[in-house]
Amino acid sequence: MKADYLIIGNSAAGLSAAESIRLLDSHGSILVLTEENFKNYSKPLITYYLAGKVNLDQMYYRSPAFYAQKNIMLCTDTCIVGMNTEKKEVISAQGRKFSYNKLLIASGGIPVLPPIPVSGGGLLKDEMKKIEGIYTLTTLEDARRLKKYIEKNHIRKAVVLGAGLIGLKAAEACLELGLTIHLIELSDRILAATFDHKASKIMEARIEQKQGRIYTSNTIKQIKASQGTVEKLILADGKQIDTNLLIAAVGVRPHTAFIDAGTIETERGIIVDKHMQTTAEHVYAAGDVASSTDILKKRAENIAIWPLAVMQGRVAGMNMAGKRQEYGGGFFMNAVEIMGIPSISMGLSGPQESKDAEVLTQEDGSSSIYRKVVIEKNRIVGLIMLGHIERAGIYAGLIKNRIDIGNIKENIIREDFGLIQLPADYKKHLVVGEGIEV
Amino acid sequence: MKKIYIKEEYCIGCRLCEIYCQVKHSKSKKIIKAFKTELDMVPMVTVEEIGHHSFAVQCRHCPDAPCVDACISGAMSKNEKSGVVTCDDQKCVGCWSCIMVCPYGVIKRKLGEKKIASKCDLCQDELEPVCVKNCPNEALVLAEEEEKDES
Repeated sequence: MKADYLIIGNSAAGLSAAESIRLLDSHGSILVLTEENFKNYSKPLITYYLAGKVNLDQMYYRSPAFYAQKNIMLCTDTCIVGMNTEKKEVISAQGRKFSYNKLLIASGGIPVLPPIPVSGGGLLKDEMKKIEGIYTLTTLEDARRLKKYIEKNHIRKAVVLGAGLIGLKAAEACLELGLTIHLIELSDRILAATFDHKASKIMEARIEQKQGRIYTSNTIKQIKASQGTVEKLILADGKQIDTNLLIAAVGVRPHTAFIDAGTIETERGIIVDKHMQTTAEHVYAAGDVASSTDILKKRAENIAIWPLAVMQGRVAGMNMAGKRQEYGGGFFMNAVEIMGIPSISMGLSGPQESKDAEVLTQEDGSSSIYRKVVIEKNRIVGLIMLGHIERAGIYAGLIKNRIDIGNIKENIIREDFGLIQLPADYKKHLVVGEGIEV
Repeated sequence: MKKIYIKEEYCIGCRLCEIYCQVKHSKSKKIIKAFKTELDMVPMVTVEEIGHHSFAVQCRHCPDAPCVDACISGAMSKNEKSGVVTCDDQKCVGCWSCIMVCPYGVIKRKLGEKKIASKCDLCQDELEPVCVKNCPNEALVLAEEEEKDES
């Protein structure tokens, strides 16, 4: 099969690219490949589905008619296992070949499985398929299988390995289904990659308030199964947990197993230039699989977040369709509400913050409100907001546009901080708009 | 598309825009009920004020709306014809990604039975938005957007 535009991946980056290509080229054939057997659905919603907060129909963030309306072809159940950039083709597990004029790799991430021995011989990654009760949670199919397993077996207790964002959303969903939760985390605190110590403490207190158990600086040393089902976990410190459900959520890594490593270079993901083109001609990459400019770290970084996937997909699509467009770079940010505490974190706000950074904080321990702004050389480089998250985007704008906030520092952490306190030029740009003088 | 322009030099901080907005988007459409019983309501326009300086700000309905890009549920969308950015209450899951990316800080949390994002819908069923219509000072003006050079 041949397509003018071939896209591997049917999520945020892939579909954003397909849409932007269609805007510029109404005739070129667009073919989207996905190894899953669903039309588009929102991956971040799978824990909401697990918790029963959204149903299957609500998982689709584009209408069922989307592909027909935009004249986009979709091949589901098509797992790409290899590619040849010289012949300009990719090959699926079933041996089908797809050739292209322009290719976008938007294959996202795949879950990492730590090398934990399972009773009976092998390691977790090999034994997982043979034993019931062990799940990763990155696809809708994972969530559906997990939900069925919990319901069918009347599971009352869930152990989650990895207390990052996926792990915590998974734990929250289990809690809402009436399960007790146990969180095991290698680091000395939960959400260590996105929060600072104070924010982690607030969230840990909330989990414990919900009768959740947290085991930090710990991991699973061995998994014991009996009669084909997980039964007991032995932790590094010797503790034992009886459970019939283990959710492994230690993280994801870029899904690059099929790429032509001779021509497509990787470093923390597939390296792309400003036009989202890889080191191979006619081949582009975007989203969680790509490594692109981090404007705060000032280097190529794999920032696996939805808004950047959409943006990168759009830029890639435009360039594939012949319109030169540059990606301006991005920085890490995340918004999530866990167990009733809304939170937003962005930039270098936790352990990565530099020693020269100025840190402003505001907290109200009784109500789980905590705000922190990290400033370097009069520019905001990081933010954490817990409890009260309103107007967080104003800070994102200040970070993105590298605005000098030297003169408004005393206002920046105020609860009523708003546009009115912004530096005059930037405020004028936002409030009054271009071309209109006050 | 028509957009609301902010004339901060005319704003006296009376907050009538906030009140009319909140009533307009309430279930009852009655001022007392809207403020005393519909407790999850928030105005979708915000008056900012320091001393004698004030202005009212609401969604700018951006051409490349970051909230639409960031939305994980497909709730936030920009109408291809009208250009108006709206949030579908049914689809919104309250993840707050839109609040994270809006550089104007004009998306709020509506904390009712279901927590959802709340933002200006430009009062599409009215001839002009109620904040504009009821501003006593023309500090908010609805006008056709100036054409920008695409290049």
